[in-house]
Amino acid sequence: MDYIFSALKEAINLIITLDSEVTNVVGTSLKLSLTSTFLAALIGIPLGILVSKIDFKGKYFLNTVLNTLLSLPTVVLGLFVYSIISRKGVLGEWGLLFTIKGIIIGQVLLILPIVVALVRNAIHDIDEKMYKTALSLGATGSQKFRLLISEARYGIIGALITSFGRVIGEVGVSMMIGGNIKGFTRTITTAIAMETNKGRFGFALALGIILLSLSFIINFILYFFQSGESK
Amino acid sequence: MKNIILEANNIKKCYDKEYVLDLENIKIYEGSFNFLIGPNGSGKTTLLNILSMIDTDFKGHIFYKGHKVKKDKVDVLELRRKFSVIWQNPYLFKGSIAYNIGLPLKLRQMKDRKVEKKVREISEELEITHLLDKSHNELSGGERQKASIARALITDPEILFIDEPNNSLDYESSRYFNNLFSKLIEEGITILLITHDLYQIENYADYITLLDNGRVLKSGLYENMEI
Repeated sequence: MDYIFSALKEAINLIITLDSEVTNVVGTSLKLSLTSTFLAALIGIPLGILVSKIDFKGKYFLNTVLNTLLSLPTVVLGLFVYSIISRKGVLGEWGLLFTIKGIIIGQVLLILPIVVALVRNAIHDIDEKMYKTALSLGATGSQKFRLLISEARYGIIGALITSFGRVIGEVGVSMMIGGNIKGFTRTITTAIAMETNKGRFGFALALGIILLSLSFIINFILYFFQSGESK
Repeated sequence: MKNIILEANNIKKCYDKEYVLDLENIKIYEGSFNFLIGPNGSGKTTLLNILSMIDTDFKGHIFYKGHKVKKDKVDVLELRRKFSVIWQNPYLFKGSIAYNIGLPLKLRQMKDRKVEKKVREISEELEITHLLDKSHNELSGGERQKASIARALITDPEILFIDEPNNSLDYESSRYFNNLFSKLIEEGITILLITHDLYQIENYADYITLLDNGRVLKSGLYENMEI
């Protein structure tokens, strides 16, 4: 027990004193996750709307694939991206392996299905009467689209928060593509895995507490938006 | 006979290769209470959607005050903005009732201050100012309908399309709406109303069109008709 208490004491001390190594790792994680979520939103929100609103051949198959990808194991995705960007891969010449850009590509691919599927659901849940009402109120095509986005806003924000939560807690892509390079591609999760193995339990625990706090904040915000939807 | 404000000729509407509407002619008379009646599934709401230009996917021609309506974006939007529709189960957008009532004016690019003034005026007229700050899902059925009527009237429409407004409303609310619609007719608004309510027909109808199976069975002045 002493071992745990002393580790906990060290962890709290590291957090309170804003240890530079801890803040560096947390900063890298936040920067990566925010960038990945932003890029996934740019691609995923329009795709989600298209998948929801447009009928095409193979839509059923695409939706099944999307739903399957929601629970994609991060190591499998890491392996896939690794095979593409490693030296012998199709994009090997681009030198993306063990870089921030490489991790971002992997993370965007990881959360893109989540953004698309959840935005699709949010748009799909909008009552058909909304479209008729918008037209009857004299909305132009673009105004109707803006009203649609406004009606689905809580669902869309929820999709982005869920994606951010998924990406900040993932370890497979960051480890396999980023390589866990200190001060460069080391994220909270990869650092926890490595520092625990090294026996720096207090340091790993400090990062664990921060990750858990971030998760709590994310869920708190998500709950806020979900409850906003019912108002 | 009053002037014809809206006329539809040779209207055909298909769903899954089957005609749900196939009628030669229907006329809506200006400043009058026009009733559209018929059994369930006779095509009343489909026709309302077409006449109000909500649905433009049909064959045939619509004439507004004698002018043939083109189905292009400009003509359709212009007409939609002259009309208002009150639905059986109105959809209220997420937000306050004040936002919902003012929305048609915002869509017409009216300035916020003017919108607020108009919202206040119409709410006072309909005695629903106490609802303005409420959220869209805090209202009863009757209150939702009142809010949707305020939203429909705020643009001073030339024709008001109403789809079975008294369904699932209590006696007091029904009476309120009937009185309101009569007042609107006196003010010169044209109303096209879908209803099954015999009391409404007997007491308020000027003109009646009876639909059955997507076709017009009878049409004309109510006082000359035997139904």
